[in-house]
Amino acid sequence: MEDYPEELRTPPVALVSLAGCPELHHPISAFLHSEQPPINTLALPDFSKASVLARKKNRDPLSQPTPAPPSGILKRDWLLRHRTRVPAVVAALFRADQISGDPAQWLQACTDLENLKSLIHGRSTRLVVVLVQTQAAEELSEDVMTALRKRAEIDPKHLVEFVQNDASDLRQSLNKLASLFAELCLTYYKEEGRRMRSIIEKKSSPFPELNIRYCFKIAIYAEFRRDWSEALKFYEEAYRVLREMANTSTRLPPIQRLVEIKTIAEQLHFKISTLLLHGGKIMEAVARFLKHIKTYRRLVGLPEVDFLHWEWFSRQFLVFAELLETTAASAPTSQSPRFGTAESPFSEWEFQPAYYYQLAANYLREKRCCLEQSSVSKTDLPSKITEAPDSVMPSIHIGQSARLVEEGDIVTVLPLSDAEYVAYALAEAERFQDCYEIIALYKRAQESFSSHGSQRMACLCTLGMAREYYASDDFTNSKQLFDTVAAMYRREGWAPLLWEVLGYLRDCAKRLGLTKEYTAYSLEMAALPVFSISFEKTIDFGPAGPATLSRREEIQREALNFAVETDGDPEPVGLDIDPVSPLRSVLLVAVAFHEQSVKPNSAASLTVSFLSHLPLLFKVDSLEVEFNQPACNFSMSIPLEVSPNKWLRLTHEVKSGQSGKLECLTVKAKINNNLIICCRAESPALMEDLTMWKYENQRETYPTLDPALSLSGQKSIQVDEPNPLVDLTLNSIGPALVGEVFQIPVLVVSTGHVIRGGELKINLVDARGGGMLMSPRETDESDAHHVELLSISGLPEEKEDDPNTDLSEETKSDNIRKIQYSFGVVSVPVLKEGESWCCNLEIRWHRPKSVMVYVSLGYNPGDVDQRVNVHRSLQIEGKVPFFINHRFMMPFRREPLLISNIRSLISPLEEKKVSLALKENNIVIVSAKNCTDVPLNLVSMKIVPEGGTDSNEKLFLVQEISGISNKCIRFVPGEEFRGVFSITPLVAKTSLSLGVVCVEWMRESKKQDQPETVTTKHSLPQVCVEEPPLVAAIKCPPFSIVGDPFSLYIKVKNNTNLLQEIKYSLGDSQNFVFCGAHVHTASVLPGNEHVLSYKFVPFSAGVQQLPRITITSVRYSAQLIPSIAAGTIFVYPAEPKFSLEKNGSELVV
Amino acid sequence: MIVCVAVVGHQNNPLYLQSFTGSDDALKLHHIVHCSLDVIDERVNNPKRSASTLNETFLGLLYPTENYKVYGYLTNTKVKLIMVTTDLDVKDADVRSFFRKFHAAYVDAVCNPFHVPGKKITSNSFSERVGTIVRSFGPSMTL
Repeated sequence: MEDYPEELRTPPVALVSLAGCPELHHPISAFLHSEQPPINTLALPDFSKASVLARKKNRDPLSQPTPAPPSGILKRDWLLRHRTRVPAVVAALFRADQISGDPAQWLQACTDLENLKSLIHGRSTRLVVVLVQTQAAEELSEDVMTALRKRAEIDPKHLVEFVQNDASDLRQSLNKLASLFAELCLTYYKEEGRRMRSIIEKKSSPFPELNIRYCFKIAIYAEFRRDWSEALKFYEEAYRVLREMANTSTRLPPIQRLVEIKTIAEQLHFKISTLLLHGGKIMEAVARFLKHIKTYRRLVGLPEVDFLHWEWFSRQFLVFAELLETTAASAPTSQSPRFGTAESPFSEWEFQPAYYYQLAANYLREKRCCLEQSSVSKTDLPSKITEAPDSVMPSIHIGQSARLVEEGDIVTVLPLSDAEYVAYALAEAERFQDCYEIIALYKRAQESFSSHGSQRMACLCTLGMAREYYASDDFTNSKQLFDTVAAMYRREGWAPLLWEVLGYLRDCAKRLGLTKEYTAYSLEMAALPVFSISFEKTIDFGPAGPATLSRREEIQREALNFAVETDGDPEPVGLDIDPVSPLRSVLLVAVAFHEQSVKPNSAASLTVSFLSHLPLLFKVDSLEVEFNQPACNFSMSIPLEVSPNKWLRLTHEVKSGQSGKLECLTVKAKINNNLIICCRAESPALMEDLTMWKYENQRETYPTLDPALSLSGQKSIQVDEPNPLVDLTLNSIGPALVGEVFQIPVLVVSTGHVIRGGELKINLVDARGGGMLMSPRETDESDAHHVELLSISGLPEEKEDDPNTDLSEETKSDNIRKIQYSFGVVSVPVLKEGESWCCNLEIRWHRPKSVMVYVSLGYNPGDVDQRVNVHRSLQIEGKVPFFINHRFMMPFRREPLLISNIRSLISPLEEKKVSLALKENNIVIVSAKNCTDVPLNLVSMKIVPEGGTDSNEKLFLVQEISGISNKCIRFVPGEEFRGVFSITPLVAKTSLSLGVVCVEWMRESKKQDQPETVTTKHSLPQVCVEEPPLVAAIKCPPFSIVGDPFSLYIKVKNNTNLLQEIKYSLGDSQNFVFCGAHVHTASVLPGNEHVLSYKFVPFSAGVQQLPRITITSVRYSAQLIPSIAAGTIFVYPAEPKFSLEKNGSELVV
Repeated sequence: MIVCVAVVGHQNNPLYLQSFTGSDDALKLHHIVHCSLDVIDERVNNPKRSASTLNETFLGLLYPTENYKVYGYLTNTKVKLIMVTTDLDVKDADVRSFFRKFHAAYVDAVCNPFHVPGKKITSNSFSERVGTIVRSFGPSMTL
């Protein structure tokens, strides 16, 4: 498309000529150009330049009385001239002062006008006079205007005033001018078109050339007016007449005639396609193009210049492709329901430029083919063809050539004979290197196709490129492209196509001297599943040769003997075949171990199987099998014969002393001493099918004798660890108790192995899973671990006097000791057979928790260089040793009145806090119950204030009333111990911390050394200390005797500064008589004690309930009813006698 | 005249390809059949297709080359049947009926208990039957 002249490629734009006032030309041109539709301007700075508008002196051939046949169809410069030199309107610009002022100037203006008029005489070009006024005030008189109009012989409306004094005036004037020009241009082009049409209609010309020319001109004029439909119509008409003319015209020699017709047809078709595509009619454009192609396809012309036809033909595709690519119209994918059916006869690709690029490339190849033939025939018969003339140039008509002959100063243009033209065309054509253009076209097609996802079509284009490179001896590029094509055909299993490509590749490799690649391609070809069944030998497969079995055999022989034939090169060719290599069909190696695991140093059988699809049997001279453990590698130098399409199986035994995975890596086969094929071993179970052979109808065979092994066989085997000859024992003495340092002895005894480099790993894991030995909320605290591995005792370096000095050196040097909260590593010294080593794991439980202790011993047995591991585990419960509880009480028969207790009765919702009376002895009973399964020794029980005993101020006094008297007390499981403490608060406080009960205990030990004591703590709650306003105490003897009177006092102490009134009452009892008031009130003075005194005489013996005593404080509305225990007394029937001593001495109470 | 018929498998691999032309452009026919798979891919994977055409097995004209027209057919097991003809003016109905017969022949061939699905079709009777169908295509055009 770029070869076309500019005027043809772009739509024509109306032309207006400006003369005079050169300073205004630029603004006017710019304005007109930006108008819609735009108008081009031909600016003439002054009137003397107007001669460019002069028309040439040739006359219309039809207007002559005897019309001579035209010498061509279209003139080369006509369109350009009408776009740049023949304006539709000529505007003469005069300054107003030029007209109105000096008469000499007026005369000059008149002369200029006359000149212009004469120049455009005989044309329908319109003349417009523009009077330029710099100021609105420069109004010209009507007379001057009329005179000027008459001079110019124009309509009044064609005389325009152009005011430019300010921007708005200028804009207005420009608008006025532009609309006038647009209107006049339209008229001009319409008239011109009409004139041409009338010529066609009036005289049916005997010369179709002229008809075509007029149709073309009408269409161009229509395009000037943007009347696209008319333009299209006349282009079509011209195209039709031209096609008819092709068979009838005799004006030029036949070859040149055809060239001219095709050139014109090309231009017309280009115009038609452009118009259709810009109108969005892509379907019509494609249909039109296909018709064009169909029409001209067979118009090849004479055989010696058929290359011209194909070049032209290829150009049609190229131009259409470029048009499609640049056009805005998109393929009708969404509108059309379906391609390729009756309702839409086109297929997707016909709307894609790539399709046309590819065809353009194909036809350019055809052209090159024909050109080569023509060149050959030319050199064969040199006498027949004239030498190419020197100065051939395009003639004035489109599609024609002429010869320039210089005779002295006279240059004449002579027509060419066909023979001369052919020679010229051949010489021209040979100057160009078509292959680069073909490659470029294929490349464009390939890129476009791959961007649309049409990989196979893109692949075909790549193949075209590769073939071109091959043809132009560029083997490096060619090989690279062929490789990509081959990958595609390999993937989809198109053997015949691959055969052809591999043939090229093989040849490229050979020419580039790549021995390895040559061998690889040859072998792949030989192993391809192509047979001569469906392909005749006549098919041209390029350098590959016919795709037959015999050709494959031939290629195999060539490849296997290639290196030998070339020279005595000692370096053999090495080929690597991995699981993705296309050479797998050449040699496929499957390795299967018969077992899944094997003991160390015992034999494991494996089967190595070979399969080759090469057509001929070949011999493997030697074989090397390599494993990941190099000690297991083995090789064979027995010649093996690998037959086509048949598994060759070898069974071998390997022994491995090293535990772990034993995997077969590669199998190297040496063939003919010049080729080493290194195959990656494949497991039969995981082996993929051969891409090219999996679709072939052939017998299924198995790589191993046992078909089950073919399905499950692996190329690797697990070599077990040697059995450990060592005893690892973990002991524990029952459950661990929270707080104590619990010891777990670990015993390592060698029972056969010498333990070297031993390493003991200890791991503590929560037995209930989760592995967390700390609570997640407390992870940031360092001592938040519930269970902690403290240390490992009994390690050799701690024993200073280790008797084995030779061993201690070693242990010191490579001693590992690393202990964390739940993990520890210690090294184990070298142990000879029968020796033992022991250590204790010290673990402390902070919370009751069940823990798994994992201990693993890894060591090197003396003889083999690999590690052996022994694992043991033990679950240990962590338990709380004591269940500790406490209770607050008041002393017997003494009741202080605590206000907070009364309050809590009224509002029970409040948080209940134990209240203690200030400066009274409050009793705390602490009970500790052994809840373990073992007897424990209790050493002490104390109440320790919180924060230690260092506080300056004593807030309360603690006194132990009853506790542990001697050293320690033994507690059997389930037994409970009670300690009684008296607490006397010294300060009244709503919240007082009483501290912690510390129970010190230890396990019962049979050993001499006392185990460490452990302290278990129990914190006492916060209490409220308040001063009791009243304290009531009952004083009564512990027992009495029937009939013997005794006194009972009730003492009420008033601790306040107020007078306290109390009421008291005493109920009746049938067992006692008493003296004193039944019901009475009393007032207690501040700070005083009021004593109520009663005298009782009991009647009956036994445990007797005293009469019910009730004391009520009026102020506090509090009533005291002593408990039943406080109101009970034992009455003896007679005076008791207690024998305390064995000797019978009596104590009389 | 039909110049080539082909059966193409799931992996776009040729299962059967027979050309009926005496000239040496059999390789070119291979290329044509191979490239027409692109159009089949595009038509089958194009989500814009209307519902009425979804169950259509006949894929229509795949693409025209200069001398041939290529038609496609997709069986319910996603095996592609492809036909290349030199008749540039073919009726849709004729092509459809050809594909129906071809499909029937293919179904009979793979129903053979000795045929392994997915492998190339090497049955001679299938070839003969296809040959008959291909030969009967030409005269029906002229009628």
